[in-house]
Amino acid sequence: MSGEEKKLTMIDLARVSKTFPPDVHALADVSLRIRRGEMIFLTGQSGAGKTTLLRMLCGIDCPDKGYIEIAGYDLSRISGGEMQKLRRRIGVAYQDFKLLPDKTVAQNIAYSMEVSYRSRPFIRSQTEKLLTELHLLDKQDALAGKLSRGEQQRVSIARAVANEPELILADEPTGNLDTETALLVTQLFRSYNEQGTTLLIATHDQAIYDFPGSKVIKIENGRLAIQKPPTLVKKAEGKE
Amino acid sequence: MNFLLAVFSQTWRSIAETWRTQLLSLITITLSVLIFTFFYLVYSNALQVGNRLDNDLRLIVYLDEQPDANLQQEYQHKIEKFDQVERIEFVGKLEAYDRFKGQLDDSQDVLKDIPKDFLPPSIEIYPRRNLESLSRIKGFSEYLETMPGVLKVQYGREWVERFYSFIQLLRVVVFLSGSLLILTTTFMIGHSIRLTVFSRKKELELLRLVGASNSYIRVPFFLEGALLGALGSTAGIAALYLLFRWIKTNFAGQAAQGMFSFSFFSTSSVCMIIVLSILLCAGGSFVSIRKILSV
Ligand SMILES: Nc1ncnc2c1ncn2[C@@H]1O[C@H](COP(=O)(O)OP(=O)(O)O)[C@@H](O)[C@H]1O
Ligand SMILES: [Mg+2]
Repeated sequence: MSGEEKKLTMIDLARVSKTFPPDVHALADVSLRIRRGEMIFLTGQSGAGKTTLLRMLCGIDCPDKGYIEIAGYDLSRISGGEMQKLRRRIGVAYQDFKLLPDKTVAQNIAYSMEVSYRSRPFIRSQTEKLLTELHLLDKQDALAGKLSRGEQQRVSIARAVANEPELILADEPTGNLDTETALLVTQLFRSYNEQGTTLLIATHDQAIYDFPGSKVIKIENGRLAIQKPPTLVKKAEGKE
Repeated sequence: MNFLLAVFSQTWRSIAETWRTQLLSLITITLSVLIFTFFYLVYSNALQVGNRLDNDLRLIVYLDEQPDANLQQEYQHKIEKFDQVERIEFVGKLEAYDRFKGQLDDSQDVLKDIPKDFLPPSIEIYPRRNLESLSRIKGFSEYLETMPGVLKVQYGREWVERFYSFIQLLRVVVFLSGSLLILTTTFMIGHSIRLTVFSRKKELELLRLVGASNSYIRVPFFLEGALLGALGSTAGIAALYLLFRWIKTNFAGQAAQGMFSFSFFSTSSVCMIIVLSILLCAGGSFVSIRKILSV
């Protein structure tokens, strides 16, 4: 891969495999490359390996085999300090939300910005803006544990995008939302994408990626199956 | 700037959440500081008393004859054979008379009819002022009595000896309570950090996930430790001061007041004790946080 192309690449996976005991091949030989500024939907049935893939991209899990590079960092060789800095540039909406139930909505959202030492006014205005867009402004001071699943999901999305990351990873971000609210979330993601943010959204909700020009990768039983359109997401040719 | 603000608010939040569990540590640290400073105060006052004992420390050897230069040399020789001394002074008959007269002040005329050489000559021996020499003072005086021409040996009584073994004992107690202070403090700091880590487990995990730096996670614990040290030592010294005032008002009128005044630590010693406690607690928390969180 040339230096120029490397600069344009946000995510680079080469023959990544992950097996869980006893014998679950959650990912098998996955190679793919996602360029900066793209919005990609990662689809596949439940149990296909979407969550496993996202967890490895944010460094919670390591692959058994293969090579992962994010924003030019080889995740198997990255130092602790670099990983911390990289994580501040990636916003993650986890499938299980990872909210702190006894903190307020605003406090939960603030975490992603506080670790980057954002100023108080920035944190406040950003929180209010996102909560307005996600129709949650009245819940700002409610405890996260008291919210409904759908509300919690939106809070976790707000936390993921609040620090204006370069890369957003979202795992089933509309799994608990009705169609109308799901549309709010998709609009939010698109507006970030228009500003140049790279997004990788794992979902099995066809409604949110079923629009002309959407870019979709499908995994089946841990293997890459279909890409649409095939030219946009290049399959990597093994380890380079 | 933003880093400091973020870390301070993080610290503040953590304290607001966990202060109840920290109370026990605070009380323990306060008590340890109180115990240590109490003995240290007694010790430093005892040393002060020791410094004022100058005159009692002197051995006075009364002689029957005024010694000439040769004899003086011989005495000096014999004295130094027993022990190194700080200083030896020969006091002649006339000198003794002058001193006595000086002490009498207004009533000097009682000496009018008394011959000027009625007082015996003497040797004043100032032993070296270390604990070893002072604890041998009794043996020293017995030795001096065996020298020829000695009428009598006088010294600050046995209590000087006892006093110095008391100081020696105090030294041990101060050392022990100081070690106790260090042990309990570092143990309690480790304990309270473990409690905080436990009660903020989920939060710390989240902080990792969103990419908090090591110092962002560590510094609040460090500050909490320092704050515990500051509060604990201040409270301990304040309690000691109250105790000190109480003792002074209740017992001062009696006994020792005229002889030595019991005094509190100077402001700089107080600051020193507080600063040392802060360093101790902050250092303790630094070590335990590395061990517990491995960050
Ligand atoms: N920690 C784990 N231990 C064992 N098996 C796991 C673990 N995580 C995931 N799996 C398995 O790996 C496969 C892929 O899971 P996952 O990535 O969560 O799928 P998806 O997110 O696409 O629904 C599933 O069969 C799941 O049971
Ligand atoms: Mg999943």
